[in-house]
Amino acid sequence: MKRKLGALEKVDADLTSLQYKVRRDPQSYFEDHQQQYMQYQTLRDLLLQNPSTSDDTGIVRLNDLIDFVAHTADCYPKAAAPFADDLIQILSLHHDELQADLRDKMVSSLVLLRNKDLIDSATLLNTLFPILVSTHSKSLRALLFQKIISDLRSSNVKATNHRLNRTIQTVLFNLLTSDRESTKGLWAVKITRELWKRQIWADARAVDIMKEACLSENEKVITGGVRFFLGGDKEREEAADESSDDEIDMRTLRHQAGINKKTKKKARELKQAAANVKRKERKKSAPHPLNFSALHLLHDPQGFAETLFSRHVQNSKSKLSLESKLIVLQLVSRLVGLHKLTVISLYSYLLKFLTPRQKSVTSFLAILAQATHNLVPPDVLEPLIQKIANEFVSEASASEVAAAGLNAIREVCARQPLAMSDTLLQDLVMYRKSKDKGVQMAARGLLSLYREVGAELLKKRDRGKDATIALIAGGAKEQRFGEEAVGEIQGIDLLEQWKAEERRKRREAAGLPADAAADEVEEDEAENWNNWDVESDDSDDSGGWINVESDGEEINISDSEDEKENRPAAKKAKVAKSETGSKAQSEEPVQKQISKLLTSTILTPADLKQLRALQESAAVKSQMPGAKRAALLAARHADDAITAETIEAAAAIGKKSTKEEKVAMAKGDREEKHQSTAAKRKEKKESEGKSTTNKEKARKKNFLMTLGKAKGKNKRSLVDIKKTMKGHINRSKRGGKRGNKG
Amino acid sequence: MGSSAKKKKEKKKDFQKVKLKVGKTKAKAANHTNTSFKAKAIALKQQSISTHAPTVEAQCAHQLSLLNHKSDTQRRDSLAYLTTVISAHPPGLPLPQPASVIVPTVQRLVLDGSNGVRQQMLKLIQSLPKADIASHTDSLLLHTRAAMTHLSTDIRTFALEVLEWLLSVAGDEVVSCAGGWVKTLKCFLSLLGWQAEVGSKWSAMRTYGRGASDAKVQVKQMNTLAAFLRAGLMQPTATVTIGAGTGTFPLWQTEHHVLSERSNAFAHLNLFGSTRDEEAEMYEDREDRQRVFHELAEGAIAAGIEQSTKGGGELGRAGAYLRKAMKEGMVDFHRVDLL
Repeated sequence: MKRKLGALEKVDADLTSLQYKVRRDPQSYFEDHQQQYMQYQTLRDLLLQNPSTSDDTGIVRLNDLIDFVAHTADCYPKAAAPFADDLIQILSLHHDELQADLRDKMVSSLVLLRNKDLIDSATLLNTLFPILVSTHSKSLRALLFQKIISDLRSSNVKATNHRLNRTIQTVLFNLLTSDRESTKGLWAVKITRELWKRQIWADARAVDIMKEACLSENEKVITGGVRFFLGGDKEREEAADESSDDEIDMRTLRHQAGINKKTKKKARELKQAAANVKRKERKKSAPHPLNFSALHLLHDPQGFAETLFSRHVQNSKSKLSLESKLIVLQLVSRLVGLHKLTVISLYSYLLKFLTPRQKSVTSFLAILAQATHNLVPPDVLEPLIQKIANEFVSEASASEVAAAGLNAIREVCARQPLAMSDTLLQDLVMYRKSKDKGVQMAARGLLSLYREVGAELLKKRDRGKDATIALIAGGAKEQRFGEEAVGEIQGIDLLEQWKAEERRKRREAAGLPADAAADEVEEDEAENWNNWDVESDDSDDSGGWINVESDGEEINISDSEDEKENRPAAKKAKVAKSETGSKAQSEEPVQKQISKLLTSTILTPADLKQLRALQESAAVKSQMPGAKRAALLAARHADDAITAETIEAAAAIGKKSTKEEKVAMAKGDREEKHQSTAAKRKEKKESEGKSTTNKEKARKKNFLMTLGKAKGKNKRSLVDIKKTMKGHINRSKRGGKRGNKG
Repeated sequence: MGSSAKKKKEKKKDFQKVKLKVGKTKAKAANHTNTSFKAKAIALKQQSISTHAPTVEAQCAHQLSLLNHKSDTQRRDSLAYLTTVISAHPPGLPLPQPASVIVPTVQRLVLDGSNGVRQQMLKLIQSLPKADIASHTDSLLLHTRAAMTHLSTDIRTFALEVLEWLLSVAGDEVVSCAGGWVKTLKCFLSLLGWQAEVGSKWSAMRTYGRGASDAKVQVKQMNTLAAFLRAGLMQPTATVTIGAGTGTFPLWQTEHHVLSERSNAFAHLNLFGSTRDEEAEMYEDREDRQRVFHELAEGAIAAGIEQSTKGGGELGRAGAYLRKAMKEGMVDFHRVDLL
């Protein structure tokens, strides 16, 4: 009988095996490759006659040939040089007519050539990018986008490829600026955002592209750019966290490798995993890359905010929908708040939207709060606050509305306390007697805010103990417009006191008078230099510090010993210039002392650690409500945005939630039911349709069915055993049950 | 026991009375079976519902569309049908489907995997009127070249048959169309393994996919090459002179003013195509062809002939034949060279 042959066997047209052979021994198979290359050329010519034809004629398709030539191109770089040009030309001229799979094959072959380093990245990207922008096919766009991103990634892996990045950024920038009306700019936005997220582009040029996108004329492009500024950095952080999440458990892997069959593949996998873990460790211990947020990298934020506002928001000709206008406004207010810009017309623009009937009014309130900072003139803000108070906060309005209004006023006043007048404040504070819990809380928030920042605006009985004492003592000074607080290190006075105490103790131990002489003070200092990291060496995170002992000693010698030799010790107390800290001198104003410690010494890590410890020991103070609130405020980063939710939060306090909501809240995102691991495994096995073990089956078996067997095995009497044995012997004698007995 | 209580409850459930409600559809019984069904496709008994017999034209169009069919036999049968229809057609009348429709659909089958289909395809194009072929030469030649460089030996051999037929029908067009001369020559060289530049040190090159590269196939290749060279290099035998006489007295050199006989007379200007390199250029002149042949292939072919004549026998005879063809073609070229 004749053996049946497969189609490919019949015609020995097997490109895969030829490819394999060519790659093994390029010189010997040169002619065959040449022949296939010619075949490719003829088929290409055929295709070019009518690019939209399908290429599945016969048994060898152009698709396969392209694949073959691309895979073997690195073996004959000279012969296959025009191949890339062919592909580039065909793709850029006919990408819309070509069959989808052939087109995709061409794209991936081109990328393959790039990976084999036969063409450079710039050529590849300059080919793919115009197609990405102009093609009508969604699938091709997705493919090209992915390829472009991955190519940019791979060329930035070892070191940042500045040249390539710059060319591509210029291309994207030009795309945005050349035609401001078209949606094509969206691709620039998408690519930049993706690369930003992956931390490949983290420079000001990428931000510049996005800035240009924000200023375009197309709504989609605008919103894309604005959304990047509002959420791009958070996305980047999340992506960074995500990538570090998938951890490899080396112990289990090693254990498994010890038990399972040992193959080369397994060994390789283990090695790879170990290398991965090592790399991750190294990455973890490496200093965190300093990534600036996009908002901080902006060049000329004032100009940007002004143009954004005037072009997209204030301009009566702009056709943006309310939603897009809102996010543009959000960006503007974010910029204003973050960089403390002055866009005066923004506040008067917001004025007309501050009515309870306005759609998504809480967003407007949030925008107003965000756009407020301490350099906004109070008289600009005053009418806004007045309006919010009039429109939102009244006995007649709904409780949610009043709560939102009060909350918004509080947020604005927290940033610019001078915007409030005393009559209005006293009026608003009365709402803390309201029946609704949300309104109550919001009013209380306002009250406690002003107890801290401007108690004199409140009625006397509302001021509270602390504020009244401070007012009488004159400690709480009214902040004036434009005034900035003096910078200081929190707890530095504690450190100062502690140092003095230490010194005094040491002197007492040595039997000297408690007053410190200057030389000793300086000696102390030198000691500090020596103990650069004595006290902090137990913590791992400060491994980056380098011990510079010799320097410290030199300072010691050069400074204090000269003085010691030259002058008598008694005089030194008078010569002492800067150092204080003895008990006698501590009665001087605190302010002066702090500035002296800060300006005259360098704090060593040991000092800093002590400082931290002192702060912690002063925890009693931090338990007080005012301190708690301050900590909460400090925890909220200045970069974080205020959203509509912040404004609405107060209203939600009083709302009664349904039972389901309560139950869900109590449950959180825990697992529904608790199960042992064994039960989980069993369930998994069952769901996969697998059978149970014999042990399990035996355990499950009906009790009555097992009885007979159990009895038969164990409880046989000796007589029974004898009987069966005899039977057995008998049977074996006569040759089995049906023996030859007759 | 707990489980029995549960079972009791379940039993109770079975006998619960279903409540009827006004304005609602009646609840379905527990043992109700849904008998409706869905079909992904509806198969018809007969494909056409028209009662008239289809015309020959319609049938031909149908059979042409079947040339893409996945089954070998179906393709072959369709080709056979078309062949019989065309060969039975009276020569004066127009064909049921014009050649400009038939040739483009049929020519792909040069590369078909099945031998039967290919043979039948050759029969079909042989049955077409010769005048119609000439205008499709370049695309036919493209496919033939694709077949000549094919990975499969069968298809490569078959391509020679097609090329021979093409040369006999429209030899002049074959050698003068774009890429027809140089590219086909290169094809031949790679087929025969006679490379102009020898890169490797090894004298005997075993080539892949040419396990059965026996003498017979090579003889055939050489014979076809000879025919090709004859078509390209020989002096055109009969030049038709139009009105070269006194019949049209006031007009001189009329032949230059009448419409060209060839199809696509201005193809050499390449008005709409992409730019051509040396390979894809058209060589319409015999002298051009001679020059290019001398530059590219003459040495390689001469060396190849040398090799094959040494072998003697069938191969030697073919070599001698080829040498004769080459010599005859290049006779006057050398004279030009000498002058």
